[in-house]
Amino acid sequence: MIKVLFFGPVAERVGASEVQVPFRTGILLQEVRAQLQESHPAAFEIVCFTAVNGEHALDMSLPLADHSEVVFMSKFSGG
Amino acid sequence: MKDAVRIQREDFSQDEEVGALRTGSKRMGGIATFTGCARDFSEGREVTQISFDAYGNMALAEMRKLRVEAIAKFELLDARIVHRVGVVGAGEQIVFIAAGAAHRAPALQACHWLIDELKQRVPIWKKEITAQGDEWVTPHP
Repeated sequence: MIKVLFFGPVAERVGASEVQVPFRTGILLQEVRAQLQESHPAAFEIVCFTAVNGEHALDMSLPLADHSEVVFMSKFSGG
Repeated sequence: MKDAVRIQREDFSQDEEVGALRTGSKRMGGIATFTGCARDFSEGREVTQISFDAYGNMALAEMRKLRVEAIAKFELLDARIVHRVGVVGAGEQIVFIAAGAAHRAPALQACHWLIDELKQRVPIWKKEITAQGDEWVTPHP
């Protein structure tokens, strides 16, 4: 499984802070995003950043390993 | 001694943080600090509390990177960064940055740089709680 986390305004729009996406060999980051964007379009309107295993991910064609942690994030507003 | 970079629910003591910074070196000629507080107003509404959510592991890692980068970039002797999460009341402290250097200019520049970079790079989100309802804050420059 791939663990997908949401925080702050994205979590509010998704209505959950975590969902699981089934893993299959070769699954790409963009496929996980597309799948979740289809079910939660309002949340993805504000998604600006993506992280995989705690690091910023700029390449959406990144293949994911099983048990990866993916986070779709809106602009930060700390401080 | 507490870690130089922390994310915590409880309030912090500026005196303790500056004291900890000063123990690192007697060559410190200048210490600059920034304290971010919870304003009690926003866009014409009275804000009673601010709620913070964070991607904790990544936020802490990014804050640690910021400290290391600032020490190298501004030739600091030391730096500390503390950010609160959870619910913070209006008027309370949110974030504290302290930068110590041999001279005042790099300490002041580093402090300014650190809070600007923190806002851009650290995955923390704030929601203002008002009598009219709660609203996630949209970042602005």
